Amino acid sequence: MEMILAGLLDSITPASLMFVFAGVAIGVMIGAIPGINGPMAIALFIPITYYMSALTAIGFLVGLNKGAFFGGAISAVLLRTPGTPEAAATSWDGYPLTQQGKGEKALRMALYSSVAGDVISTGVLIAIAAPLAAVALFMGPAEIFALISLALTVIAGIGTNSICRGLIAAGLGLLAGTIGTEPVTALPRLTFDVYQLGGGLSLIPVAIGLLAFSEILIQLERFTGKDSGEHAANVFSAKREDRLLSLKEFFANTRTLLRGSAIGIFVGAMPGLGAPVASFMSYDQAMKRSKHKEEFGKGRLEGIGASESANSAVVGASLIPLFVLGIPGNLAVAMLMGAFMIHGMQPGPLMFKENAQLMYGIYGSLVIASLFLAVIGRFGLRLFCKAVEIPAMMLYPIVIFTCIMGAYLGRSDIFDVGVMLIFGVIGYFMRKFDFSYVAFLIGFILVPEWERALQQVVIISENNPNMFFERPVAMALMALTFFVIGKTFWSNIKAGRDCRAAKAKASAQAKDG
Amino acid sequence: MTRILRETIANLLIVGFCFVMLIWAIPTYTPPHPGYGASPALVANVAVGIMMVMAGLSLVRLLLARFAGKTLPPAEGQFPEEAQSTGFTQVGRVNLPHLGRFIIPSVLLVVVIEYLGYVPAAFAFLMVIQYFIGSRKWLQMTVLSIILVAVMYVIMRYGFGVPVPGPELFE
Repeated sequence: MEMILAGLLDSITPASLMFVFAGVAIGVMIGAIPGINGPMAIALFIPITYYMSALTAIGFLVGLNKGAFFGGAISAVLLRTPGTPEAAATSWDGYPLTQQGKGEKALRMALYSSVAGDVISTGVLIAIAAPLAAVALFMGPAEIFALISLALTVIAGIGTNSICRGLIAAGLGLLAGTIGTEPVTALPRLTFDVYQLGGGLSLIPVAIGLLAFSEILIQLERFTGKDSGEHAANVFSAKREDRLLSLKEFFANTRTLLRGSAIGIFVGAMPGLGAPVASFMSYDQAMKRSKHKEEFGKGRLEGIGASESANSAVVGASLIPLFVLGIPGNLAVAMLMGAFMIHGMQPGPLMFKENAQLMYGIYGSLVIASLFLAVIGRFGLRLFCKAVEIPAMMLYPIVIFTCIMGAYLGRSDIFDVGVMLIFGVIGYFMRKFDFSYVAFLIGFILVPEWERALQQVVIISENNPNMFFERPVAMALMALTFFVIGKTFWSNIKAGRDCRAAKAKASAQAKDG
Repeated sequence: MTRILRETIANLLIVGFCFVMLIWAIPTYTPPHPGYGASPALVANVAVGIMMVMAGLSLVRLLLARFAGKTLPPAEGQFPEEAQSTGFTQVGRVNLPHLGRFIIPSVLLVVVIEYLGYVPAAFAFLMVIQYFIGSRKWLQMTVLSIILVAVMYVIMRYGFGVPVPGPELFE
C-alpha cells in the first residue's frame, strides 16, 4: 500500500504533471498533422527523454501517444486526411459532418469518445496487469524463449500482406540486434571492426530512420510542391447547436462506446493487431448493430464514437502484454519498451517486484494523461485545428532536421546520424517492397531478451534440447508458434486459390454474357 | 518492370546477402564458442537462416508463377485508401533520383559538419533541402533556416547541455 501511495504521489509532482501535460498537448498537435503518427512522434521525442527521470520520461511518452491518437481524428474530420491510420474510420462520418458545418460537434464527439475508451482501457490495465504479472513470474527461460518466438511470428504479419516478407523483416531485425557485444563471451560480434558498433546499434537512430525519415522520403515523393491551402477554421458553424455536443447526443451512443472500448481492449491486448484493426472492427460492428445503418458514412456521430473509442482503448490495453510478459504488441509500445530500456529497466513481470513504486507512478501518469486529454482537447480544440494548416513546405524541413538532430542527441555522436540515414534508406526500400518495418523493429528490440533466454536454456539444460519437452507450457507455446506459421501459410495459399477461382468464374461469366 | 520481375530481383538480393553473411561475415566477425552455452553465432545464423528460407520460398513461388504465365495483381495496402496516405504501406516504384536528392545532402552534412561546424553546415543543408522540396521563396527559406538552426542550437546547448556537432562557430 505504501508503494502504491508513493508511486501515485510521484506522478503528481510538478515536473511529472508538466511533462505529461506537454506530452498530451504535443501529441494532439502532432497527431493532427497528416503523415506524422504516434510511433513516429515517440521515435522523434525519445532522445529528449534521455535527460528526464524514468517516470517523467514514460509519462511524457504515454501522454504523447494518447494525444496523437486523438489528434489523428482532427485532420480526419476536417480534411478527410487522417493524421494517423487508425483515424481513417473516423473520417467516414466525421468529414460529412464537417461538410454540413458540424465539424466542431464531430470533433467533440471524437474527443469524448477517445477519452471514454482511454479511461476504460486504463482501468482494465490497472486492474489486471499486476495479478497477471504475478502468474507470469512462474515462467522460466524456456517459456520466455518460446513466448518471444510466438510473439515474433504473430508480429511478422503486421504491416505486410505476406508472412514470408514479414518473417524476412523480423529475421533482419534479429540480425541487426545481434550487432554489438555478445552476452556470454563479452566480445564484439558483427561489428566489422567499427568501434562505435561495440555497444550495438542504438535504438534511437534505428527507430528515427525506419519510422520517421523513411516516411518523410515517401511522402515527399508524392508532394507536388504546392500546399493544399485548406483552412480548418472555415468549417466551423456559427450556430450553437452545430458546434456543441449535448449530453443526450453523447449518451445516446453509450452502448457503441462500451462495445468499441471492449473491442479496443481485446485487440490492444493481442500482440500483432493494432489500433487500425480495432477501429475498423468497431465501426463495422456499430454499423451492423445500428437501427440506422443507412446513415453511416453520411455523418453519424455513432460512427465517430465507434472508431475513436476503439482506437483509444488500444493505448492502455496494449501495455498489458508489455507489463505482464515484456512483449510489445505494436509499434508504439515497442518504442515505449525502448524508452524503458534506455532508462535501465527491462519491461516484464519483474517490474512489479523490482520497480513497484515506478509502476504505480506510471499508472498515476496514465490516469492523469487521460484527464489532461479531456481538458486540453476541450479548451484547445480550435487551436489544434490550426495544426492541420501548417504548410508542408515548412513542415518537411523541420521534420527532416529534427530527425538528424534527434539521432545525434542520443549519444552526441555524428556516427548515429549516419546510422539513421542508413536505416532511413532501408526503411524506404522496405516500404516500397512491402516488407514490414514493424516486424523488423520489434525483432530488433526483442532479440537481446530472446538470446538471453536461449543461452539460459542451453546452460541450465547442459545442451539438452529435450528441456522444451519437459516444460509443458514452453512446448505448448512452441507448438502454437509452428501452428501460427502453418496456418498463415495455408491461409495465404487458400486466399490465392480463391482469388484465382473468382477470376476464372468472372471471366467465364463475361464470355457467356 | 512487372511485379514478378521486381520481386524476383528483391528476393535474389536477399538470398545473396544471406550467402555473404553465412559464408564470410558471421564466421569472420563472431567470437569463437567459449565451450559453454550456445554458440555466439547461433542467433545470427538463425536470423539469416529464416531470411534465406523465406526468400527461397518466395523465389520458388515467383518462378512457378512465371513459368505458368501468370501475372501477379498490383500490390495492395492493408488498410482503406484514406489510411494509406498516413504511412504503413506505400508499395510502389523506387524513385532513385528522388532518394538521392535527400540522401546525398544528408550524407554531405554528416561529413561536412565535422569540418565547418554546426551553424554553417546546418544552414546550408536546410537551404538545399528546402530547394529540393520545391520552395523558391528565398527570403522565407533563409528565415526558416536561421530560426531552425538557432532553435536547435539553443535547445541542445542550453536545454540539454549537449555540445553541437563539429567545431564551434566562435572558437
